[in-house]
Amino acid sequence: MDAALNAPLVQLVDLTKRFNARAVIHGLSLEIQTGEAVAVVGPSGCGKTTLLRLIAGLDVPDRGEIRLAGRLVSTARRSVVPPYQRGIGFVFQDLALWPHLTIRESLEFVLQSQRVPKADWRDRVGRVISLVRIDRLADRRPHELSGGEQQRAALARALVSQPPLLLLDEPLSSLDPDLRVALRAELTGLTRALGVTMIHVTHDRDDAAALADRVVSLRDGRIAGDRAQRPAATSSDR
Amino acid sequence: MRTALDNGHLRPWGRTGAAVVGVAALVFLAVCVLPAAYMIAASLSGNPSDIARTYQTLLLDGRQRDLLLNTTALGLCTAIGATVVGVPLGFGLARASGRRTQLRRLALAAPLALPPYVVALAWVYVGGAAGLVAQTIGHDVLSGWTYSLAGAAGVLILVSYPLSMLATEAAVRRVDARLEEAALLVAPPRQVLARITLPLVGPSIGAAALLVFVLAVSDFGVPALLGVRVFTTEVFTAFAALYDFGRATVLTLPLLALAALVATAAIALVGDRLLVGRRLSSVVPSIAWGRRTTLGGMLDIAVLMVALVVPLLVLGYEATRTGPPAALADSGAPIVTSLILASLGATCIVAVGAWLGYARARTGRRAGRLADILFVVTFAVPSTVVGIGLIGLWNRPGLLGTLYGTDGMILVAYLARFVPVAALILAASVRQVPASHEEAAAVAGARWLRTVTRIVAPQVTLGLIAAWVVAFVLCFGELGATLLVAPPGESTLPVRIYTLVANAPASHLAALALLQSGVVLAPLVLLGLLRVRWTPR
Repeated sequence: MDAALNAPLVQLVDLTKRFNARAVIHGLSLEIQTGEAVAVVGPSGCGKTTLLRLIAGLDVPDRGEIRLAGRLVSTARRSVVPPYQRGIGFVFQDLALWPHLTIRESLEFVLQSQRVPKADWRDRVGRVISLVRIDRLADRRPHELSGGEQQRAALARALVSQPPLLLLDEPLSSLDPDLRVALRAELTGLTRALGVTMIHVTHDRDDAAALADRVVSLRDGRIAGDRAQRPAATSSDR
Repeated sequence: MRTALDNGHLRPWGRTGAAVVGVAALVFLAVCVLPAAYMIAASLSGNPSDIARTYQTLLLDGRQRDLLLNTTALGLCTAIGATVVGVPLGFGLARASGRRTQLRRLALAAPLALPPYVVALAWVYVGGAAGLVAQTIGHDVLSGWTYSLAGAAGVLILVSYPLSMLATEAAVRRVDARLEEAALLVAPPRQVLARITLPLVGPSIGAAALLVFVLAVSDFGVPALLGVRVFTTEVFTAFAALYDFGRATVLTLPLLALAALVATAAIALVGDRLLVGRRLSSVVPSIAWGRRTTLGGMLDIAVLMVALVVPLLVLGYEATRTGPPAALADSGAPIVTSLILASLGATCIVAVGAWLGYARARTGRRAGRLADILFVVTFAVPSTVVGIGLIGLWNRPGLLGTLYGTDGMILVAYLARFVPVAALILAASVRQVPASHEEAAAVAGARWLRTVTRIVAPQVTLGLIAAWVVAFVLCFGELGATLLVAPPGESTLPVRIYTLVANAPASHLAALALLQSGVVLAPLVLLGLLRVRWTPR
């Protein structure tokens, strides 16, 4: 029990993932502590997105293992814990907002699926939409929102279940430069305020510098660099 | 990215294009739309009090209400059954990939090509009063079911579930895998299926069910063979047996209205997705719905056995159990006539459908939607209605009459029934060719005809072949309209089978039905293998 409490939130051990015999992730090992904001950077095709998908359980590794808070969740060619039980919030690059549901319905779907008591839904939804500043848009469908609003809605969906780990797959890549800078600042403030551990995949050095305490560089599926930018936020900082 | 050509803002067809497309549109209107329009007009012509009385009878007569009830029940049972069978199969196909899936799809879709009355005949040999089941157990237990509305619906389910299956597969493949993955992060697969996937694919499944409904209420062969009273058989009886053209005309109206209404609703449900022929999402959620391949495999096998293998085996058994079939020698002329007419018909259908399909693909959204409705509604017009409409239009002195009474009328009937299908298939194919390809050719100085023949046509070769094969299969199995317009003494294979049902030995009939199945399945198998071969590994 103590070992689990002291374990890193994310622990990747000798991870390998192949697609059509080509190794996209190659013997990668990495530990991320609770509260860290890590940016994973690297050129296109270096395995950044695959890394997030492996952690989320959307893909299974061909070799190695993944532990979350000390608990084995994936091992070679086997998903031990299904994605929906891993406690992960995920913002996809294309956002993947469900087109047939309003933002409120999407958030309620998440809460219902995570077996949050119905009595708490209103409060939880209200808090998160207010946090990402889309209070007045909650009853709209995704196609009725602007790009920035959709971004916020995707973030709200990822945060509403209060996951300990937030995975962001280039969430700012499709935005224009001004909106990108504004949202970057908001995202930084939000994740720090919530104390959520964050892994942010990006190929943009500015995003990495602004959002992360630590930057991990990938090249050809291997870690090419791992440096701290500033001390990670701790619970006492919040 | 949508271009001006996609949006219908730019139509660099020139005079040649307008003329070619215009001629195709005229042929379509004259051959496909006019017979149905003629039937409506005929029902409204004459003495107003007679018309009122006829319509009163149509609406208030108990016999008519039973007919409407039977027809609607047949359509509903078939639509529900085909959906129940087809949807799980469609999900299974959508969650798989590779050449083996292509072969699986081909096998599971094959029953769609079988003429429904051939399958009905096979099941009569199994469950009829003197069928295999009765022979085996010593007494008849199934014939009551076989010759019933439930039996007819059962047969129609077996030949129409592939429509539901293919529509479901296409719809599931169109769902962006990320949407399901985003849900799988927070919810178990069954909840994702219920709340995310099914609502997204629901309209397509609903539209397919509506189309199955229309095709079921339009079918003539199965209810005729199994003695089920529905509008199509009643129309045929009124015209061919009672020589009551007025009654036949009035009886077509509820059918036409039902077909038009339901087909329009189907188009409203699917919109532009009717013409999407290729998967839009390149990603299949890697964790999908668990890997229930064993269950899926068992379902595949069970459906294939009931819909394809058993009917063909039964026909084979019946055809050979009294020695080598002599039927083929006796029916040489209808077989050759059918092959020639179906080949000619398919060629004419593709020749007209290609230009209509091209025009549809390059037309703006609103006009395109109208064209879709027109294509689907004209395809949904029941065969017996088409037949009577054609007789009313062409059986008159003068130029039109010179064609009437020749095999040319059968060709016209084929065109009337199946040009819309070819147009829809080819519109879907042309839509895959980016409009910018044509714009680039136009900028380079190529004229429209050259652009279409050198740039577009080579990219839709498989679509053209597919349209021809589908048209051939449909023509070769056409019964309702052919039965009415075929000149005296001339007969196609389906007509021969239909007329022999009452007075020929089972072996004779089964041999012909088996031959017919072989002829329609062979080109489909070839087409499927061609597709598999052209698909990258």
